[in-house]
Amino acid sequence: MKDYITVGMLNAYITRLLDHDEILQNIWLKGEISGFRLYQQSGHIYFTLKDEDAAVSCVMFKSKGQNLKFKIEDGMEVLLRGNVSVFARQGKYQVYVEEIQPYGKGGLFLQMEQLKARLASEGYFELERKKEIPRMVSRVGVVSSQDGAALRDILKVLKQRHPGVAVVIAHSSVQGTEAPRELAQGVQLLNEYGELDVIIVSRGGGSLEDLMAFNSEELVYAIYESRIPVISGVGHEVDFSLCDLAADVRAATPTQAAQYAVPDYAIIQKNFASLGDRLTRFMNRILSNREERLDRIMMKKVWKEPRLLLQKKSELLEDKKKSLKKAMEKNLKEKGHQLALAIAGLDNLSPLKVMTRGYAILSKGERVVKDIHDVEIGEKLQATIANGQLQVVITGKRKVKRWKT
Amino acid sequence: MENINFDSAIERLEAIVEQLESGQLTLEEALVVFEEGVKLSLYCQKELKKTDGKVSTLLKKLNGELELLEFEG
Repeated sequence: MKDYITVGMLNAYITRLLDHDEILQNIWLKGEISGFRLYQQSGHIYFTLKDEDAAVSCVMFKSKGQNLKFKIEDGMEVLLRGNVSVFARQGKYQVYVEEIQPYGKGGLFLQMEQLKARLASEGYFELERKKEIPRMVSRVGVVSSQDGAALRDILKVLKQRHPGVAVVIAHSSVQGTEAPRELAQGVQLLNEYGELDVIIVSRGGGSLEDLMAFNSEELVYAIYESRIPVISGVGHEVDFSLCDLAADVRAATPTQAAQYAVPDYAIIQKNFASLGDRLTRFMNRILSNREERLDRIMMKKVWKEPRLLLQKKSELLEDKKKSLKKAMEKNLKEKGHQLALAIAGLDNLSPLKVMTRGYAILSKGERVVKDIHDVEIGEKLQATIANGQLQVVITGKRKVKRWKT
Repeated sequence: MENINFDSAIERLEAIVEQLESGQLTLEEALVVFEEGVKLSLYCQKELKKTDGKVSTLLKKLNGELELLEFEG
């Protein structure tokens, strides 16, 4: 009987070999993803990493894989760090992945696109959120590397346009692993300081890898939260970053960011001066208009010869008097005529008129006698006729019946 | 004149000048807005002269205090 060992012992032995190899405990590995699987229940990720003529199984446990900044997909080129060990149950070795990142331009671009889509759907790039850059900016914050060419360009342009501008720099690295955090902190720091009209976040041109710090979630959040308007000036014209999307204004270059940040002071001053001129000019015009109007009124003859005013009034008075008199006369004439008519009417009705026709009025004292019973035989009465009065004595009475009228 | 900044002052000043230009104000109204306009332009003039032109670096000290250092580019 030969000496033998069990399968378990073999695997344990090989495991020990691998686990004690320093190189295998911490390796960086590049390859293309295939057969990607995410187990919903456990949250662990499984895939095969391959290149032209080789492949290796990889596993990434939930604890390592849940905070990935991009979505792993088949066909993606990645760079990953991990250790190699044995999966004893199947007798195969595999890579236990610690971290993973897209490899190369394509990968970085993909990572950026994925992050862009997610942040956009979460509303971080909404246009309604954009703040306006004030017209007059005299205090500018800059988040950039204090040693970079970008900062030099920015300072030069700021000073050209507005010599009095105050600049506060929050230094940050602009590439490398620390850059995303430092850039975000720079924006936060300047907000904490607060006494700024605008913030520029900037770096000069570089490779996509160099610019990746400006595609980080942290920076997008910091810009989104900034109370102070942010201008982004990253790389060259052709470069486009998530920082650009999050910022209130996107400038193509650091120089342009500085141009956007401060107005041309000479122009502002000129505009202001002309505004002041207009203010006084139009006020003067209003005053002189009123003055002219007043002058025109005061020029009128009447102010110089007030007697004219009186003369007119007295003429008017005379007129009125005349017409009043006329009216009175006319009135009197009409009334006199009416009176004459009335008198003529009265005359016809007068008893004197009747008496001239032979009638007499018989009276006893003051009273006119109308009834034979009012007088006695022998009584003295007065009879009035047309041209005088007679004393008469009643010598007899006789009642006569007449028709009633 | 409280809570005012250069931009809002300039905007108000522009509005005042336009009002005066329109010629639709009574003399009394014109004098009131003119006086405001003069105040605003004095304020703007002051603001335009105010800046000190310094370039500094902002640091946060370990105790959390902010510190401005002169920048030597």
